[in-house]
Amino acid sequence: MLRAALLAGAERGINRVLRLDPTALPRLARLSGRIIEIDCTTPAWRLFILADDEGLRLASNWGADADCRLRAPASSLLRLAVSRNKTAVLHGPEVEIDGDSGLLMNLAEVLQDLELDWEYEISRWLGPVGAQLLGSSLRSPVDWVRDSADSLRQDLADYLSEESRMLVGQAEAQARFDELDDMKLALDRLEARIERLALNLNPDRPE
Amino acid sequence: MTDPRKAHDAEPTTHFGYKNVPESQKAQKVAEVFHSVAAKYDLMNDLMSGGVHRLWKRFTIELSGARHGNRVLDIAGGTGDLARQFSRIVGPTGEVVLADINASMLKVGRDKLLDKGVAGNVRFVQADAEKLPFPDNHFDVVTIAFGLRNVTHKEDAIASMLRVLKPGGRLLVLEFSKPTNQLFSKAYDAYSFSLLPMMGKLITNDAESYRYLAESIRMHPDQETLKGMMETAGFERVSYHNMTGGIVALHRGIKP
Repeated sequence: MLRAALLAGAERGINRVLRLDPTALPRLARLSGRIIEIDCTTPAWRLFILADDEGLRLASNWGADADCRLRAPASSLLRLAVSRNKTAVLHGPEVEIDGDSGLLMNLAEVLQDLELDWEYEISRWLGPVGAQLLGSSLRSPVDWVRDSADSLRQDLADYLSEESRMLVGQAEAQARFDELDDMKLALDRLEARIERLALNLNPDRPE
Repeated sequence: MTDPRKAHDAEPTTHFGYKNVPESQKAQKVAEVFHSVAAKYDLMNDLMSGGVHRLWKRFTIELSGARHGNRVLDIAGGTGDLARQFSRIVGPTGEVVLADINASMLKVGRDKLLDKGVAGNVRFVQADAEKLPFPDNHFDVVTIAFGLRNVTHKEDAIASMLRVLKPGGRLLVLEFSKPTNQLFSKAYDAYSFSLLPMMGKLITNDAESYRYLAESIRMHPDQETLKGMMETAGFERVSYHNMTGGIVALHRGIKP
């Protein structure tokens, strides 16, 4: 019963946020009638998600089969929630997907693309002038925090790959992959040439 | 135990709370109770249960397994709490029928749903649970939340629900039951026989109706008995979940 209460609270909060983005609910409506099951292996818990034009419904049980089932440990689920590149996480060895994976991707896209119209929500309480004043004074610090976070991430990536050499940089990795491709091509050519030579030396041998 | 329906040559009696009344009068008396409380029904539910009735209903919906396009019958649907959620789940291709024997409750439910913009896939039908006016094998899900207790012939109602369900369809009975813990049961008794009628008096100016509520809960079959009744009627894979220490139980059975 406690879990149901927590889920009900979470559902209410999420739906309130979803209503702030004018495009989110129409996009969720396209997923209506479909059931997504998130099956966390460690720790063991299950969550069912149903979307419709009023938002999301979260449930710990559902008496019917899911259209898409995602099975993964909590660490992978967390990475999936925060990562921009969800496909890479979904292809990880500990993640299992049954059913229509497009459904899961669609839901993830809607949640990732949320553009909340805070100003509209504030204007309902403070009026248009107050909202504008508050919005503009909030916008610059928010932008600063976002820019700083972006630049920190970039600096960290640069440091790990270029300075400390703990990770291989993307450009460097791509160069190695290209070399490997070239080598594979050269090997294929060599193999074909040897085969042709062998055929010339021994023309009677059937192919 | 003798069956009160066959005990007398005169008209058989049934219980109405702790009193015995002729069978023909029970429906009328129950109707009076609900006519009296209909307007403040939602407020009283929230007050009496501390809002927990919403979680009980939520769990009922989860276990129903209703899907897009399903046909759902909500018997004794009262003020439409379940019907509203089902309407969202079954979508425009499905159908929800909100049935209640009591015209006042049905009217409050219909107004509430329309006010909330729920329309299109919901029908309102005044019907007796014992004689459901629907074809055989018609619904995917039938629910009755806090309604079976008030039905005069529970066996007939369960049989009627079985009839209108499609094979594989699910019946969910959400109803007050017997608390599993003795100590908790004592506290619950004290609450429901003193505090409940007092709240009823304050809010709806009708202590009697809420005294009936407390009494009718005690007269209702306990978890195992109701499970047995559903199995006898022909339901399969009958199971029940106790909630809030057994104050409420959710029974589920599948039509074979």
